[in-house]
Parts: sequence; C-alpha cells; structure tokens
Amino acid sequence: MPDPIKIRATVKGDEGEVRVLLPHPMESGQRRDAAGQLIPAHYITSVILSLNGKPVIEGALGTAVSANPLFAFQLAGVKAGDRLGVAWVDNKGQRGSAEGSFTAG
Amino acid sequence: MNTGRRSFLQGFGNAALLAGLVGAGVLRPTRALAVDFNRSAFDSKNLADALRLIGATAAEASRDIVLKAPEIAENGSAVPIEVISQIPGTTRLSVLVDKNPFPLALQFNFAPGAAARFQAKLKMAESSRLRIVALAGGKHYTVFREVKVTVGGCGE
Repeated sequence: MPDPIKIRATVKGDEGEVRVLLPHPMESGQRRDAAGQLIPAHYITSVILSLNGKPVIEGALGTAVSANPLFAFQLAGVKAGDRLGVAWVDNKGQRGSAEGSFTAG
Repeated sequence: MNTGRRSFLQGFGNAALLAGLVGAGVLRPTRALAVDFNRSAFDSKNLADALRLIGATAAEASRDIVLKAPEIAENGSAVPIEVISQIPGTTRLSVLVDKNPFPLALQFNFAPGAAARFQAKLKMAESSRLRIVALAGGKHYTVFREVKVTVGGCGE
C-alpha cells in the first residue's frame, strides 16, 4: 500500500491555504530498469479537491508531473473546521482519497 | 476543443452529486471529470497538436498570468512552478513543456471560490519553453518562460 495522502489546510482571515501530497511513483513510461526494459507508465490521471463535500478544483495530470505530486492552492470563504477532501485515480484504475480539516494558521 | 463555461459548470454539477463519496473513498474522480478534460491532448507528442486539442491555438499573450519558475533547474525531475492568473473569471489553467515527449503536463479547473493559482512540480526532459494557458470567459490567454535544465528528468 502507498503512503497515506498528506493534507495541510490552514486559514488566515477567510483565505484558506491548501497543500496536498499524493504519494505515487508517477512513472513516465520513459524510464528503463536495470535490465534495459522500459518501465510501464503508471501515473495519476485525475485529482479532485472538495470543500465541505463540494468540488472546488479538478485536475487532469500527465506523466510530466513529478513523483509524489505536491500541490498548493488557495480557497476563499474558508473557516476553521471546514473539511477538505482529496481523491485521485491513476491510469491503472487505482484510487486514493483522504479528508482533512482547516485549522487556524 | 472549445469547452464553454456552461459545460464546465455542468461538470461541477455532476461532480457535486458524487462528492459525498470522497470521504468514503468510493469516488472515482474520472466520473466527474471525463466530460470535461480532453484526455487525448495528454497523448499528443508535439506541441501544436496539444495546443489544438486544448483549444488554445489562438491564445492571446497576456501579462496578467504570473509564472514563477527557476531560470536554471538543476534537477529536471522536479522543477517547481507557481502560476497565478490575475485574469478575472479564469476557470482553467494548463501547463505545457514544449520539448517534453508529451508536452501537456497538467490542467486544473477552478470553481468559483477557488483562486486560479497553484504550485506544482514538473518533470522536464531538457531545457525548454514552459507555457501556461489560461481559459477565461471562453478565451485563451498565454504566457511562457524559458527554463534551462542541467539534468533532464524524463528518464529519471
């Protein structure tokens, strides 16, 4: 099993700052193993962030996003205790999701 | 493909129905997203095709998109970028690396309330132009910067 998703969500005023780390190899399909064989592409294709259950940011990813993608965003109208959800799916159909809460920063 | 604001918002409407499942780990993001992104653009091996497939061929140069990226990136497997669109009503930001094997790297859609800005890290195969396309009010705007890469990151 991959490492769990990490979420950091803080509020300053009514502005929310979000950082999410999605542990994933993000194999580009261009890399070769020690025997010279191409390692098949394995990467997150979609990610969705939700605020209190409502989607606010949707992402489509290609192979050029670095391994263990780390993204930062800003959301308006956020208060401490609001819930932030993250879900992803990769090109093999594997999925991950997590939820965190905004804290005063 | 010209994705109008209407279909974009409908995409979010559909996503809202599924959003309750996020916490339960049941949500398949693709269901919410499939109508919205043109996945074939990510399979394009040249810049012209990728730009055409995201509808940005005629994107207008803009000074209202801030693109922060290193002038020289020592590690092409993780080039940090920050993108901020100051164009009102920006609903989508796309990132392209001209000389990557697959130029389209990343796209984000922003619902009202989400600032049209993000930070991310990219793989860059070699020194290349880094290109941002913003969609606002059905129009595409663009900005680019050259990034020198000392150790390429796609074979990494």
